[in-house]
Amino acid sequence: MQIKHVKSAVALGSLVALALASSATGQSTTKLWTGDPVADRQRLMKLNGASWADAQAKLKAGNAEAVAVNAETMALIATQIVALFPEGSLTDKSKAKPEIWQKWPEFEAAVKNFGSQADKLKDAARTKDLAATEAVAKEFGRQACGTCHTPFRVPPPQQQAPAPPQLQPTR
Amino acid sequence: MKLRPMRTAVILGGLVALAAVGCATTAKSPTIGTGDPVADRQRLMKNVGANWADIQNKVKAGAPETVAVNAEALSLHAQRIPSLFPVGSGTDKSKAKPDIWQKWPEFEAAAKNLENRSATLRDQATAKDGAAVTATVGTFGRDACGACHTPFRVPPPQQQPAQPRS
Repeated sequence: MQIKHVKSAVALGSLVALALASSATGQSTTKLWTGDPVADRQRLMKLNGASWADAQAKLKAGNAEAVAVNAETMALIATQIVALFPEGSLTDKSKAKPEIWQKWPEFEAAVKNFGSQADKLKDAARTKDLAATEAVAKEFGRQACGTCHTPFRVPPPQQQAPAPPQLQPTR
Repeated sequence: MKLRPMRTAVILGGLVALAAVGCATTAKSPTIGTGDPVADRQRLMKNVGANWADIQNKVKAGAPETVAVNAEALSLHAQRIPSLFPVGSGTDKSKAKPDIWQKWPEFEAAAKNLENRSATLRDQATAKDGAAVTATVGTFGRDACGACHTPFRVPPPQQQPAQPRS
């Protein structure tokens, strides 16, 4: 009889704590995104690509200062990427490689590096120095995008390395 | 004497449940942001303002079809706004009005309104409909920004109505 009471007391305590925990987080973490992490991260990464394209177009037009907004957009996106790759979120539509979850700390580091590179681009743009901004931009594709895409994303068809030339059968 | 173990059991149960919740949420959803919601939302809203300024510059420069990227940034940022206003996050540095938490559903609706209007602007730009973009931009400050800032943000000094002359 006593044990039963204790058991129900434990259960009651759990329920109360769970209710408190969920109501505390309920408003502070209003549901983000659609609940489909592949669709959500693809939308986010498309904005990332479009922001980078806009930054390059502005540089071509000689407008370094205007690149800052795109760089900051990318830096803000960088803070959300990791959260959009929950374990098991690999589908047919996803270009994510399983290496993401096998080498999670390296994936996190690559995202962090992307954020730092975006900050660097933003800081250069804010100086309004075209040459300095172009210098950061020149390395950006390889150092910011590529350090994550090369190890962790299946390359899109047009970016795949050309097939090695067929060896001629020798006689 | 009989009550004491029961009380301990209630507390123990609570702790176990909280620990379970803590583990479940850290593993599944790494935190977004620094943990300082005022700093995080001010950073986000600065980028909202900068994207909006870029939109206006592009329209002025005669390139309204190039604003899709900025409008999409506004639309995605708008989705995050409610999560950056947890209860009790009004500080000295914040310009948030307490009305946000008193009229939470209206605040959420105002953020959703920004998301939707930004998506409309994005779609108009993507369709290369410059006239539609220009028309939307013309009322965006009032209908998208103002619809939330007027009821829910303390106005910055320069926007406050002038003191009546004495």
